[in-house]
Amino acid sequence: MAVTKKTNKQLVLDGLLSENPIFRLALSMCPAVGISSSVMNGILLGIAVLFVQVFSSCTISLLKDYIHPRIRIPTYTLVIATWVTVIDLVLAAYVPVAYKAMGIFVKLIVAFAIITMRLEVFACKNPVVPSFWDGVGMGTGFMFGMVTLGTVREFLGTGGLLGHDLIGTRPLLFFILPLAGFFCVGFIMAIFNYVEIVYKRMKRKRSIAQ
Amino acid sequence: MKQIIRITVGLVISCLVAGAVMGGVFTVTDKAKKRNEHLAVQETMLGLLGYKDAKQVPADLKLYSIYRYIITDGSGSQYLGYLVPVAEGNETGYMLLKLDLQGKFISKKNIDISPEKAREAPERESALKAVLKPPISFRYADEAIVATLGKKRLAYLLPGEFLGFKTTIKAMLALDPSFGIVGLDILEHEEDPGLGGEIEQEYFKNQFKDKSYDRITKLKVIKEPLPDEYKKYLEKSKWQKGAFSKEQIATIRKKYQDKDIYAITGATISSKAVTDGVKGMVRKFAYRMGKLEAVIVNEKIPAVFL
Repeated sequence: MAVTKKTNKQLVLDGLLSENPIFRLALSMCPAVGISSSVMNGILLGIAVLFVQVFSSCTISLLKDYIHPRIRIPTYTLVIATWVTVIDLVLAAYVPVAYKAMGIFVKLIVAFAIITMRLEVFACKNPVVPSFWDGVGMGTGFMFGMVTLGTVREFLGTGGLLGHDLIGTRPLLFFILPLAGFFCVGFIMAIFNYVEIVYKRMKRKRSIAQ
Repeated sequence: MKQIIRITVGLVISCLVAGAVMGGVFTVTDKAKKRNEHLAVQETMLGLLGYKDAKQVPADLKLYSIYRYIITDGSGSQYLGYLVPVAEGNETGYMLLKLDLQGKFISKKNIDISPEKAREAPERESALKAVLKPPISFRYADEAIVATLGKKRLAYLLPGEFLGFKTTIKAMLALDPSFGIVGLDILEHEEDPGLGGEIEQEYFKNQFKDKSYDRITKLKVIKEPLPDEYKKYLEKSKWQKGAFSKEQIATIRKKYQDKDIYAITGATISSKAVTDGVKGMVRKFAYRMGKLEAVIVNEKIPAVFL
């Protein structure tokens, strides 16, 4: 049981950048490839994942001492499914406007690898507060990744952002297709890796200079 | 052995707790959810008829529901049962018309139920049970709504569902009295957002508008890019003032009226599913309505929408 020593701020930042679920951990690639065809989709799915991740992380971290280690994965799935259903029903009943936009995204989430993985790696070993912040970091990191992908793909594919036409033509329709999702994820992943290499090199130089 | 028991008990308890939580939330939210759905359907219906908000709706617009049931009698042969709204003095009541599968009239019976109560499925069932006693059994098939404006029949509204790429798609169709499409709206679906989910976008669903009955029966999906001017024309809610002149609208409408449906990029299966679903709904409804109409006229049923 390795309890984390990171501060809450660090946890959130890690989720956003150095442990970004899509570009660094390469988790939940199906939605990243399939659904990131527009910025709005990215934002909506990001919000849905953020909520489910935070709620599930907190629940598992509260219940971690009572879960038999042999059945932890089924329990995670149950917890996620419960939260997805609860959010779905509550939205449908009390916020019909939000439900109209988010309904299909919420229902997709049950099988997302990122949530199960964070429960397994983090929430089941840590107290509630760090788990909460880890959930927030991972959720926003996922949203950030989806929005980045959505921006690239929507702009190149339709020549607009958020449904507004910006340049009047559709430069490369190819980017809207699911296939282009792979290319975009790959390229952005490469950029992330390159930044990491440069950053480490700078750090090493600085430590040598000192 | 001890392990197995502990695992089993643990899993059973977690399942029970999860089930209890979901069930609890469901019972609390069910009523509000149903009400929202009902409101959404109402709004969709008025929207399809061209009324954007409740203020525009004229006072003499009336929506009458016809419910179709499949009746099975003791010997196992099947009949169609139509619950048709009829005029009873100044009130609206319901009458059950029993037709055989070829659409020939068999019998009629008055059903004691008000239109408000008829909206609830359990109420309808108990009212029908009073007339159709065992061994006769019946089950609900579908609903069609006739919209009238004064004495004139304005449109038919058909709620329906068909199979999409992933699960069923619930849609609402508005047809004019000669069964051409006035509008299509997608009520509920679980297609993938960004791909099949695009079926709820105006540039897809508005393509069905203005197609005549003959055209619908031969409707196909074509894999061609949607022309830009047509896309702009279809996205009606994004129109700026004066974006299209009346002549432009008329020419574009005429140009694309007889075209097939342009498939959504990356979602040909969903596009096909919706097109086939719509086709099926229109064809079946036109056939059934024709038969029912003939019975109503021949038997001099005082239906309210005549």
